[in-house]
Amino acid sequence: MNFPIWELGAAGGGLLVALIAIFHVYIAHFAVGGGLFLVTSEHIAYRQNDAHLLAYIKRHTKFFLIVTMVLGGITGVGIWFIISLLSPQATTILIHTFVFAWATEWVFFVGEIVSLFLYFYLFNKISRKLHLALGWIYFICAWMSLFMINGIIGFMLTPGDWITTRDFWDGFFNPSFWPSLVFRTAFSLLLAGLYGLATAAWEQDPEVRRRLVRFNLVWLLLPFVLLVPSGWWYLQVIPKASQLMILGGNPQIPSFFHVGYTVCVLLVAGGLLMALRLPAYFHRALGIILLVLGIGSLGSFEWIREAGRRPYLIPGYLYSNGILVAQAPQLTKGYLAASGWNQHANLADPIAAGKELFRGQCSACHSIGGLRTDIRPLSAAFGVMGMESLLTGMGKLYGYMPRFFGTPQERHALAQYVASLTPRPEEPTATLLHENQTIPVFDPENTPYVLLAWCTLGEKCISDCDAHFSFLPPGSALTAQLIRRGPLPELVTEGVELHYIAPAGHEHPSQHVEFWKYAQSLVGKTIPANTSAKGLTPSGTLKKMDGAAVFVADGIPALPYRDDGAIDPYPVWRVEARNATSGAVLATTQVVLPVSTEIGCKNCHGGTWRRIGAMGIAASTASDVLARHDRRHKTTLLPQAKAGTPVLCQSCHPDPLLKAQGKPEVLNLPAALHGFHAHYLADRPGAEACHACHPTGPTSYSRCARGVHAQRGISCVSCHGTLEDHALSLLRAEAAKPSAQRLLTGLKPRLVASVEEIQPRIPWEDEPDCLACHQNFTPQPPRNASAFNAWARGASALYRNRSDDAGLRCPACHGPTHAEYPAVNPVHPQRDAIQPLQYQQTAGPIAAKGGCAVCHTVPMDVEFHHENILAGANQ
Amino acid sequence: MDAARLIPQALAVPIHPGWFVVLQFVTLILHFLAMNLMLGGSLIAFALSLHRPQNPTPSTYALATKLPFTIAFAVNFGVAPLLFTQVLYGQFLYTSSVLIAVPWISVIGLVILAYLAAYLVDFRFSLLGRLRPLIFGVMAASLATVALIYTTNMTLMLQPDRWTAYFTNPSGTISNFSDPTLLPRYLHFVLASVAVAGLGLAWAAHFGIANLPPQWLGHGLTWYAGATMGQYATGMWFYSALPTTVAHALGGGEFLPTFTFAIGAILGLASIATALQRRLCATTWMLLMTVVLMVGLRDMVRDLYLAPYFSVYQRTITHEYSPFLLFVIVFILGLGTIAWMLRAVWLEKTSEVQP
Repeated sequence: MNFPIWELGAAGGGLLVALIAIFHVYIAHFAVGGGLFLVTSEHIAYRQNDAHLLAYIKRHTKFFLIVTMVLGGITGVGIWFIISLLSPQATTILIHTFVFAWATEWVFFVGEIVSLFLYFYLFNKISRKLHLALGWIYFICAWMSLFMINGIIGFMLTPGDWITTRDFWDGFFNPSFWPSLVFRTAFSLLLAGLYGLATAAWEQDPEVRRRLVRFNLVWLLLPFVLLVPSGWWYLQVIPKASQLMILGGNPQIPSFFHVGYTVCVLLVAGGLLMALRLPAYFHRALGIILLVLGIGSLGSFEWIREAGRRPYLIPGYLYSNGILVAQAPQLTKGYLAASGWNQHANLADPIAAGKELFRGQCSACHSIGGLRTDIRPLSAAFGVMGMESLLTGMGKLYGYMPRFFGTPQERHALAQYVASLTPRPEEPTATLLHENQTIPVFDPENTPYVLLAWCTLGEKCISDCDAHFSFLPPGSALTAQLIRRGPLPELVTEGVELHYIAPAGHEHPSQHVEFWKYAQSLVGKTIPANTSAKGLTPSGTLKKMDGAAVFVADGIPALPYRDDGAIDPYPVWRVEARNATSGAVLATTQVVLPVSTEIGCKNCHGGTWRRIGAMGIAASTASDVLARHDRRHKTTLLPQAKAGTPVLCQSCHPDPLLKAQGKPEVLNLPAALHGFHAHYLADRPGAEACHACHPTGPTSYSRCARGVHAQRGISCVSCHGTLEDHALSLLRAEAAKPSAQRLLTGLKPRLVASVEEIQPRIPWEDEPDCLACHQNFTPQPPRNASAFNAWARGASALYRNRSDDAGLRCPACHGPTHAEYPAVNPVHPQRDAIQPLQYQQTAGPIAAKGGCAVCHTVPMDVEFHHENILAGANQ
Repeated sequence: MDAARLIPQALAVPIHPGWFVVLQFVTLILHFLAMNLMLGGSLIAFALSLHRPQNPTPSTYALATKLPFTIAFAVNFGVAPLLFTQVLYGQFLYTSSVLIAVPWISVIGLVILAYLAAYLVDFRFSLLGRLRPLIFGVMAASLATVALIYTTNMTLMLQPDRWTAYFTNPSGTISNFSDPTLLPRYLHFVLASVAVAGLGLAWAAHFGIANLPPQWLGHGLTWYAGATMGQYATGMWFYSALPTTVAHALGGGEFLPTFTFAIGAILGLASIATALQRRLCATTWMLLMTVVLMVGLRDMVRDLYLAPYFSVYQRTITHEYSPFLLFVIVFILGLGTIAWMLRAVWLEKTSEVQP
């Protein structure tokens, strides 16, 4: 960043370095091994008095001279040129740190040139002894060049103690110096054989050719004896982080491993094939093919070595994008302003600023529309939101890319720029359904029963990408209590039946999602159409819970999709209490079964809503989710899905919601989802991170936060904490699992000072305790009160399961979580307040505004249900 | 825009910067001599090949067989001064290189092209026939272009105020033709290469290298004299185009630059006279002294340009001497080995030992 950055567009991303470097090293190693080959072969030719071999060596020397001096020598300077253009910061560090190593290498370079010229031009013109001496001097100079360069190249992978001592020798004789030297020496000998095979193939005499080929074959094959153990040794000495990177941490590397050893196998096979008695043209063609193939072997090794350094150019000292590690903390206060080479530090033109940020932080590895790690397809799935999330999480969990260095505003500008490179068509926004709402009639004078019903969750979410995966199959829970009115009302549980009746258009959920098609694969059994995994149908009977005066229908297959094509996240079910014997209707009411498929995977995983502009997980989005999961966790979920056997996420991830055991060593699903994504959605203001995935945002289609808390500006964060806090609370409960430890290290709490202060919680079993704010049932706690970190422990302590002293469940009077009375429903303002309006003509909690008469036929002045009930009721 | 904000920070050096100044100075002289033989030789060879394409003179052949060596050594001797220049002025050189990245990296392709062309005419001289001028032309044009690119970079690195061109063109294709010194500086150096190559030809004729006839001693010196006269013209042009502060320092404002400039100019002028008198040794000595002085003057001009921003001696020194010692030892051993090789070969050749 201290230097200007060459804007290369399609040719960017290190392509030029790769091209020149791979070409050069392929020749440079030949220049070393080939030197030994020449002089020892010449010696053998003299000893065996083999004129053919000697003539061949002379011819080969000419080829050697032109290849190594012209192509090798100049491309060596070429590497120097290109790295100084693409990574001037790294180059200047290498030059200043190792100036006398370079200078020493230059002396050997001079020696190489002088000795090789003399060796070539005086072939057969001076004494054998002197000629051999020249050959040996050449080889020694060439190998010493390798010795010197090897120290500097090794430094870039394993700087070792230099990081702390800054001592030349610590950097030069770094941990990988010796294995690398042996490995490269072996490779150079192998290449001598490989190049030799190619030139030997041009020998006219078939017998001589065959003999020469066999001679060269020994050079090709023998070095493997040294190559394999030194390769293993090499891998052992590099730091754990680089090892992990090489062994798969960097997703680009495994394919180069495959290329490397496949090419080696082909070289051996091809070399052996050449040893056969074959026509000259075949020998020549094969010789050239093997020579070209050989690039793949050394090229993949160099590539792996380079990629193993990620996210650094010099591990621990300089990042891949030329940012010094020591400089990085300062840059988080503003990257653009830190260098005079940027003109848009004020962010007035965010795209131009983003372009400068891309140039500075991304272009070292990413091209735009080119061959090397093209940013366009890589970012095509992301909009601005997704890209910004990626930038936020970059370098935290997966170390092959550096973190983003800059302010949140700069990060946003960069996201805008990258998103602008692959503009996505604007997805139309569907308008939320608006419908009338009729309130059932209640005659307080003559009606003996009050029927209260609520959905257990304020919003039941369904993952409707069943062909790919499922983690929230259809199945809403409806709870109801029947009260016989009187001076001392009582809860009725005997002699009655409670029925729930689906609204028109919601009777055929199986027509709208593919859960039933894939049920066998997802939940292990075939399920009749329109029946949930728990056996419930859209209309049916609520069952009385054992030991509680409560009726429950847990598993109603409710969907937001209506038969007429409308998308209604708030369908209204009818509930009736009937005399069990006569069937006479005793009481009736209506209740919203809030249900949504608005899960925002598409914000980062690409695609659109399955139902354009509204909700649902589209196939392309789901595929991307699985592809990334497969890549990160070595699973085969996407191929499985394509084969028609998608899985339920909870088949591996335990989840109390579905009472799924999963695999004990795997994180529970909420911990995994929140723990992972919190790295990417960190630092966002308020509940913005929550809105990214949940249908809670004010501009979402479902707008599920509609209760009294939401109306008063109390957000998700007030009770659950920010996403980071929330994720940490879930991860802390899973801390014994290795993957939890990994996720925990990258997250910082925002509402408390340290991770240790966060109280662990089990999802769905430990939830924010209402009484943390509403202490002693105080109706209106202080505005800044927070329930975060004050968990109600265990199922019986939860708001949805707790009863007052009269046996009434909290939601019976206060409404479900997230839709607490008086809630305002986006489809119709009264839809979430049907029962309060039905029974007391006001939308507040049951019995609000002095409405004890809903159940009590005489005035009440005793706080029987819970403390402070009268204070609340009189508001 | 404050140009100083664009200049990256200079890194620490292991030993006193004076050592690098000396190393750069010495190796740059070697590079210039080899490079001049290469560039001037290829230009003369091209001119000669045009003269009688079908029936080339011995001088054309002599040049053809020796040009690959000049390229090899010009490149090799260029590595060391470029290395030491990067140590001293890396923050300027890297920056200007990035600004002209496209032509700068194309230097590699152009040198490879020239090198291949050189070997082609060396190994296939007779077979090429009428194609010889074309091959020589490719070589000369490639190398002359490389020289222009180098001149561009060496001028641009001195003027941070011109770096702001990056803001309108970050794609590495900035030219520096608007700098009035660029063209005279370029021509001055190209003519220097012709002069040195002419003198090289004279020496080759003197020793009978590649069967070059004796009359080429005179021809070579004529090339030298003519090119040096041309250098005077371009040198004056170059001087007049220098920024006022630099020109003032050279024109009496500062002692050392003025003295060096004056002595160099006088020696150059005198060498024209000795060349025209066919005095090979005297001309050569004067040329060598002129080269030494002009390389020194070149350094002074560079520091005068950069004076508002940077002093080469104001550097953090890490006092790490052992790597320097390694270099010195290897350098001495290397020189000894090269001397031994040349001596051994010379002895065998002169004593006619048969293989």
